[in-house]
Amino acid sequence: MTRIGFRLALAYRSNIIMTCVALVAQVFLLRMIWTSVYGSRPAAAGLTLDALLAYLTLANLQAFVTHTIVSRIIHDRIRTGMVFFDLARPVGYLRQMAGFQAGNTLGGLLLLAPVIPVVLLVGSITVPVNGAGYVITLVLGYVIAVQLALLISLIGFWTMEIGAVSLLYRLVSQFFAGTMVPLAFFPGFLGVVAEILPFKYMGYVPAAVYVGHISDISGPVVVELAWIAGLWGLLVLTWSRAHRRVVIQGG
Amino acid sequence: MILVEGLTKVFRRPRTFSGPFGALRTLVTRQHEETTAVDDVSFGIDEGEVIGYLGPNGAGKSTTIKILTGILTPTSGTVEVNGLVPWRDRSANARNVGVVFGQRSQLWWDLPLIESLRLVGSLYDVPAPRFETSLKKLRDLLGLDAFLDTPVRQLSLGQRMRGDLAAAVLYEPPLLYLDEPTVGLDVLAKEAVREFIVETNRLGRTTVVLTTHDLADVEALCKRIILIDHGRVLFDGAIDALVNQPRRLVVLLESEPEEVRGVPRDAEGRYVFEIHDDLPGMIASIAAEHAIRDMSIQEPDLESVIKGIYTR
Repeated sequence: MTRIGFRLALAYRSNIIMTCVALVAQVFLLRMIWTSVYGSRPAAAGLTLDALLAYLTLANLQAFVTHTIVSRIIHDRIRTGMVFFDLARPVGYLRQMAGFQAGNTLGGLLLLAPVIPVVLLVGSITVPVNGAGYVITLVLGYVIAVQLALLISLIGFWTMEIGAVSLLYRLVSQFFAGTMVPLAFFPGFLGVVAEILPFKYMGYVPAAVYVGHISDISGPVVVELAWIAGLWGLLVLTWSRAHRRVVIQGG
Repeated sequence: MILVEGLTKVFRRPRTFSGPFGALRTLVTRQHEETTAVDDVSFGIDEGEVIGYLGPNGAGKSTTIKILTGILTPTSGTVEVNGLVPWRDRSANARNVGVVFGQRSQLWWDLPLIESLRLVGSLYDVPAPRFETSLKKLRDLLGLDAFLDTPVRQLSLGQRMRGDLAAAVLYEPPLLYLDEPTVGLDVLAKEAVREFIVETNRLGRTTVVLTTHDLADVEALCKRIILIDHGRVLFDGAIDALVNQPRRLVVLLESEPEEVRGVPRDAEGRYVFEIHDDLPGMIASIAAEHAIRDMSIQEPDLESVIKGIYTR
């Protein structure tokens, strides 16, 4: 299944290449806007302009990497009845879908590889302050992203139609991940919400570790692990209910 | 191989409403509609048999197959497939069965055929050497070489079906469910599918449950059929017994009496006699009493026999 996801990413390469172009453009635009906002101010909310630009570039790169197509695949396969074949396999459904997504991300990364230097240049990124910490928090954040995507997709077993829900989910998750604006700038209530939600681990937290805004990663890592464990339980529970529904209702 | 007893499946769905707020009412209703898709079905299938599992659209065929693959649990009744209860030992049962749905494909649309076959190999834990021998055999048997590296969306229906058959038998399951494997195929492609089924059954002693609306498939492949309609078994037995019925003499007369020699006039004004031995004598005696306008002799064939059973 991982291999299929990987090959599909390559099969849809024109799609991904277009996304790469959009990525470079977005990073460039964000750079222009924030440079003008900062003007001659040295720092805002504890972030220097350079750190902020590096942060935004990374957050957008990460949004691209943690973007999941597994919900679309699941939705398509439920709608067309192809899910029958997935259910008839000796391997568990969630395992198949997670494997698919992992392969798809790897394929996406492979296509992304040549673009990364361009993005880093446009976003004027320097060497990471804490490289190992960055990778750890990002990988854990990615796991959370996949778990959430699977959880959203399972709604399709009840409603058949998840297009709008996925779109909403994508908007909300990207916003609260801090892809447009770093979470440090979120005012009062919004900041609290963003702090509680798990989306920050896909964008803000790893990027902040990279630029040195977060120096001690032990706290975030513990919370990430807790989210992974909690979401795991929720996924298993939701899947067993969805599966029971298929088994009794015929989907 | 397969033992089904008293199998019943009732679907319970929220009642759907029509009208301006229909969708909303459907969402909040507590009323349910029950449909019995399979109703007290029992049958047994031995190892190595090729069974025609037939019935009109909506008769309950697919529901039965979904239960046999372990995807659905029945409302009541017992099922044993190769010693396993499909929905309880779902994973073990999955390794025992291959499935082909003519109307759907398990192949990945945008990827070369070989990728879908590799996926099947890995999902069913087929070790690499066995995968290669199995694939080699299928390449010869189904002529896959010409399109193994072609994306599935570019394949013709016949090629796609051959790909689906390959995917279903790659891990050499002892049991094969084929749901309309020849639907939409041209004569030659149908022939290729039939030959493949015969070969698979012969070489691997594979048990085949075949669902189809093309009775030529059934006549070419099956010795025994199970007929179902409205979820109930109407007939279970050898095709020979079903078709081995007397020929019939169909007569049209100038005058149309209520009955001739104990045979009543049917809705189309015909008189249908069963031919037992002396056909010339039978014709002569009818001709002696009535003016015959037209007549014909009907050979018993599967299609008319089955049509007769459905409309009974």
